[in-house]
Amino acid sequence: MTNAPNTPEAHGDPQAPSPDQTQLRYLLPDVCRVHLGSHGALHVTVRDERIYGGVYAAYAFPVAHPDKYVSLIYSAGSGPDVEIGVIRDLDEFPPEQARLVREALGRRYFVHVITAIRHVGWKYGFVAIDVDTNKGPASFLIRWQHDRAVDYGRKGKVLIDVDQNRYLIPDLDQLPSSQKAQFQRYIYW
Amino acid sequence: MSDEKSVLLNRHLPGELAACLRAGGVDPEGAWLSADTDLNLQGGYEQVFLLALEDRILTAAMPGGEWTSPVRILLRRQDIREVRTRQGVGGGFLEALADGVYVEVLAYSNARADVFHKVARKLQDWLTGQPVRTGPEDDVNPRKCAKCGMALEFKGDVCRRCVDRGAVMARVLRLMRPYTGSAVFLMVLVLAAIGLALVPQWLVKLLIDRVLAPEQAGNAALQPGQATWWLLALVGGLTGVRVLESVVGVIKYRLAALVGSQVSFDMRQRVFNHLTRLAVDYYDRYNVGQLMSRVVTDTEQMRGFVNQLCFGLLAQLFQVVVVGFLLFALSWKLALLALLPAPLVVLAAMFFWRYIYPRYYRVWDANSKLSGTLNTILSGIRVVKAFGQEKREHKRFDGSSGYVRDSFRDVEYTVGTFNPSIGFLFQIGGLIIWFVGGQWVLRDKMGLEAPGQAPFTLGLLMQLLGYLGLFYGPLGHLTQLTNWLTQFLTATQRTFEILDTPPQIVEAPDPVRFRPKGGIVFDNVKFGYHRYEPVVKGISFHVAPGEHIGVVGKSGSGKTTLINLLARFYDVDEGLILIDGVDIRQMGLTDLRAAVGIVLQEPFLFRGTIFSNLTYGRRDATAEQVLAAAKAANAHDFIMRHPLGYDTYIGERGAGLSGGERQRISIARALLYDPRILVFDEATSNVDTESEQLIQEAMVRVTAGRTTIVIAHRLSTLKNSDRIVVIDEGRLVEQGSHEDLMARDGLYAKLVRIQTELSREPSVDALAGGKTREAAE
Repeated sequence: MTNAPNTPEAHGDPQAPSPDQTQLRYLLPDVCRVHLGSHGALHVTVRDERIYGGVYAAYAFPVAHPDKYVSLIYSAGSGPDVEIGVIRDLDEFPPEQARLVREALGRRYFVHVITAIRHVGWKYGFVAIDVDTNKGPASFLIRWQHDRAVDYGRKGKVLIDVDQNRYLIPDLDQLPSSQKAQFQRYIYW
Repeated sequence: MSDEKSVLLNRHLPGELAACLRAGGVDPEGAWLSADTDLNLQGGYEQVFLLALEDRILTAAMPGGEWTSPVRILLRRQDIREVRTRQGVGGGFLEALADGVYVEVLAYSNARADVFHKVARKLQDWLTGQPVRTGPEDDVNPRKCAKCGMALEFKGDVCRRCVDRGAVMARVLRLMRPYTGSAVFLMVLVLAAIGLALVPQWLVKLLIDRVLAPEQAGNAALQPGQATWWLLALVGGLTGVRVLESVVGVIKYRLAALVGSQVSFDMRQRVFNHLTRLAVDYYDRYNVGQLMSRVVTDTEQMRGFVNQLCFGLLAQLFQVVVVGFLLFALSWKLALLALLPAPLVVLAAMFFWRYIYPRYYRVWDANSKLSGTLNTILSGIRVVKAFGQEKREHKRFDGSSGYVRDSFRDVEYTVGTFNPSIGFLFQIGGLIIWFVGGQWVLRDKMGLEAPGQAPFTLGLLMQLLGYLGLFYGPLGHLTQLTNWLTQFLTATQRTFEILDTPPQIVEAPDPVRFRPKGGIVFDNVKFGYHRYEPVVKGISFHVAPGEHIGVVGKSGSGKTTLINLLARFYDVDEGLILIDGVDIRQMGLTDLRAAVGIVLQEPFLFRGTIFSNLTYGRRDATAEQVLAAAKAANAHDFIMRHPLGYDTYIGERGAGLSGGERQRISIARALLYDPRILVFDEATSNVDTESEQLIQEAMVRVTAGRTTIVIAHRLSTLKNSDRIVVIDEGRLVEQGSHEDLMARDGLYAKLVRIQTELSREPSVDALAGGKTREAAE
């Protein structure tokens, strides 16, 4: 775990410089450092600028470029969230810092990745789906509507269940044909 | 006050965890709030508890892995400035602002979002020193089924899991009650039609055994004259039966059409009437297309039910039962043999409906996507040409067209293989009857029948073959019965869901009746369209009767929401809105809507004449009143330029009129409604400078003596306001006169400065008129 730097945190200081919101800024390891700060929150220190606390990470292209173009954003009190900058490629950063960002991404994107489809059928007027996911086996219901199973890239699907939880099939073609056929019997679009 | 505890917000900790906490000096019994989440902050499933004690909050879970202590996060009350929830993707976070940083206290999946939304509010009250309590009322979640806990699509939705399907069918039958007589008569006709369908086979048997081959049946041969009479009588009988079948068919069809279409009409009317009673909130949940489908398609299922009863699956079910009974009555041995392939037919049909039929969905989807692609390309053809992207669009179209080709080919290949195979199965029963029955006929012909046994005649064989066709024909379709029943019940249930959806905006049982003067109070109003996102976060201000208020703020700051709440398109989540001291929820809905007239940014006009649009809210308005209103709204002159004046027919959404003209008609429409409170919601946003000037002139006239709220982006629209209210991020941040606010140099002054900069750029239409925009204003 990276310790917080000794420099005073400037996020509460209205005089501290803020990122120019009119231009996109790429964050590079030589000008910025990702670390944990007070209360274990994610912090980003930008050289000659300030320390940003309570930072979260978001993908710019979660489908097309996962692990690249990661936006680091901080909540500036009651105002709108402010983008500190964009990391072009997480691999450009030291492994420890990249890990912190990936952990932050993992927290923000709570998505089950479906690894196998066990059964698809009807239940109470919903499509009932039993699957294996990266988080373990799961059974869920989705409404039989186009907006409940949306495209993910060219070959994937994101399923949104009745609780708004998300289940991702990154590439339907990677599923065994019997599972794909079973799935497409209901989610045919 | 009851001491009962909330189930969700006073969770009991597992004994082991509680013991661990006690060992670490934390007494879980001292927590006034205890809630559990399903995720840890690493994004994995884990039960983590949030405990709120008098002086701190903490999260706790069983130690393990990198965690040696049960306490994951501990924050002292004195260090926390704010508690909030933040939405992630598929879940969210409870965050606390501590030492100037938003700290993620815990994570939750969307299944637990409502609980932590509630927790955040409680903790925020705790921080600000307001009294907080948790009780059973916190367990009420209008977005979950109270019986099974399943998530509902919106507050008051019907739980599909708990819906009683038997009750749905009973309800359908109850709907048919006014047509009981017709329905009974229809059933008699259905049975008569089935009975009549059986007669020809019996007549054919007589024809063969009595006339054509009497010796084979052990009957005496007929004289030539007698045979002719028999032949005539039997063919006459066959003709009569066919004619009778046709007559019964005609009556059955007409009666079914009469009853079916009337039942559908009744259902459509009920659904539509109910839809108009539902709050705007409901229309946010469902798109118009979905609702149209429910009103137009789902209600047609009632007609489908009557049709199925008369000609479809239900009639076929009767037929299979009756014919099956007859087959066994005529020759149970042969019937048993003939029905041997029946299970195979049923299995094959089930296979078809389960595995082959869904491929048709892909064909529909492909066609729909092709239409969508074509529509997009053709609608945007100017853009395509302007960017020289024809080849790219050819490729896109080829892709969609290829999908249609492939999906259609897939279905056709499959069906082309399946149908001949199933056709053979259908014939197996007939082949068995031919072979076994044929042997029996030959045996009897040779006089080898068992003593005391009735002869198996050629006529009987032909009769059995005829009945077999009547049996196997509907059998394949009957496997659809459950499929159809499910579809029918689901569609009907969807319709009932609308009928059962309680209107969210309910009129008070004994509403306060009065003629408002127009005083308005917003008292700590809080509201959000979605459960995670409050839009209005505690706004309070008052408007005196006759006062003119301007409301300004950035896009999405909550200005329009305030108006939606004032007109009770939605009800506040917390706080009060009063008109002349009366909570608007205690007013009659008609009285409230009559008191508040709204001119929207996008004026919606209906297809019809200008006159009918002007009098939309007041059908009894006289021609003189309409003229006066239109004149006041600066609409009269342009209306009169149309050859048919007020009787000019305008198209869908006011097609044929400019944006400014539509807006002035909508102002006249609101004026004719004569409300005490007039609201202009960005009424001049989408019009040119000249129209804006005309609208502003109209606004001055029509607002005289009325309480007026003007929401505007263009600050010039607010120049006649007595007071200006500035909204930002759902909060009221400033209010006062233009001069006060400029002197304060806050958000309003900033907005004015930005707009002044922008207005220095001369607009095209102002230039065309030889003057700058400023001059125009």
